[in-house]
Amino acid sequence: MIHADIAERIERFIRTQFRVAASDTRFSRSQPLFELGYVDSVGVVELLAFVTKEFGVEVPDEMLMSEEFSTIDGIAAIVCRLSQRPEESALANS
Amino acid sequence: MSGLEVVGPLDPNFGWADGALLTGRECGLSAALFHELRGAFACVHGENGKTVLIRDPLGINKLFWAVGEGGSVLVAARPYHLVRAGCAFEDVSAVPAGTAIEIDWEPGGGPVGAVHSAGWPDSAGMRGDSVEAIAARIGSTLDRYCAALAQVHSEARVFVCLSGGLDSSGVAVLARTHFRRVTAVSFDLERRGGPPSADRSAAARLARDLGLSFLPVTVTEDQLLEGLDTALADGIDWRDFNVHAALVNVALARGIADACAAGGSGRTAIVLTGDLANEFLVDYHPEQYRGRTYYPLPRLSPAALQRVLVRGLETSHREVGPFQAWGLPVLQVYAPAVDYYLQLPEPFLADAQRKERLSRLMFGDEIPDYVYTRPKTRAQVGDVETGRGVLAACIDRGLDEAWLRHRFAELHGVNDAAALQRFLRAGRYRSSVPGAPLP
Repeated sequence: MIHADIAERIERFIRTQFRVAASDTRFSRSQPLFELGYVDSVGVVELLAFVTKEFGVEVPDEMLMSEEFSTIDGIAAIVCRLSQRPEESALANS
Repeated sequence: MSGLEVVGPLDPNFGWADGALLTGRECGLSAALFHELRGAFACVHGENGKTVLIRDPLGINKLFWAVGEGGSVLVAARPYHLVRAGCAFEDVSAVPAGTAIEIDWEPGGGPVGAVHSAGWPDSAGMRGDSVEAIAARIGSTLDRYCAALAQVHSEARVFVCLSGGLDSSGVAVLARTHFRRVTAVSFDLERRGGPPSADRSAAARLARDLGLSFLPVTVTEDQLLEGLDTALADGIDWRDFNVHAALVNVALARGIADACAAGGSGRTAIVLTGDLANEFLVDYHPEQYRGRTYYPLPRLSPAALQRVLVRGLETSHREVGPFQAWGLPVLQVYAPAVDYYLQLPEPFLADAQRKERLSRLMFGDEIPDYVYTRPKTRAQVGDVETGRGVLAACIDRGLDEAWLRHRFAELHGVNDAAALQRFLRAGRYRSSVPGAPLP
């Protein structure tokens, strides 16, 4: 899986699931999703479930809490790494 | 890092493994027993330069750590204990749930050792049995667990938090079967001369029908909210549903502690609750108040939501923390049966009558029919007739989740609200092994 493809799928999910307006010019793949209120505390659970189902990886706790897991690009980078190194996935360690 | 020190009291242990109760603070678990471990269990044990830390797979009991001044690792059951010991909240991390950690403190060097992961109880792949068979296994497990507890705590004064709902009614039945001195405790908000809530009336009636002593704990809204800081700090949470539940438990804890002091028997007191059953049976739904939705749930399938809710038990201490703040050990009776609950078929989890069906299989007519058929009310939401519950009491005073988050941050010396996001997210705490780099 390549980063751009992963990022596009995550972005599409977030726009649809959390009803981001098409006219919202502030929304982008580099903006902090939680800080700006695009994804709330319940939404992050839905986002995690999507990531697991869509990409077959489970994000370990240390990556979930990282700064990287606050933007679409960052989440895509995490998914990329987990896909390429399945031993790091929480699924592999459960 | 140069050794380990425990700060403040740890949560009492009510672990369960291989049909045996684990209540000691010694971490003498074999590898086999560790992988069987269920129930509430967290321990820290140091000897001859080695330390062992163990935390149960659901993370019911809490263990947090941070590096103190001088390089020693400080371990506590509450983040605020570490903050008061001089650690920054941003440096506090949870010991991962379901791990056993062995640390050798090498002189002049960092800790080395082994980390064993029990994994998270996940029997989702085994949802093939009938509900009847699973109910029988749950019932058998709870019977053996309570029998073992009663043997160890034969002289204890047992208090059952009785809401009038099915979960706590089941606990009351188990308590009556296995313990000698049982008192049912019921929470209600004062209603200014009005009738008691439907839950209070049901709880009182059930206690009478089961032959249990009854302790009503009735508080005003102001008295309820006096417990906010305890609910936040000992509940280790700022999310509104959990804080509201913790407020009820703070009130109950105070009422039970007062009753014990007045009784003067000197006997150990133990509190039993039916908490966890709601997570196990996905029995939550959003609530409406003044045109707004509170307690939203993730939009997931019933089985996926069950997994999320059960995994989320690792965070929040809304049951154990408030009672422990009053020196009251609390036992979540349904805990050791988690594996069987996770085997329930997905169609069953989607059945609106699932709780009634399962309870009838487990308890039959030991629970009177009026309990099975009465509508469920949560103390957080209140009575249909009066419309007042903990939620209303908080919201009408401006104590919404943003306020609760701000107050939690204040209590823990946190200036940057984003630090809370990095501590608790998606039902998980920031966690790491002492000696490993923080995320």
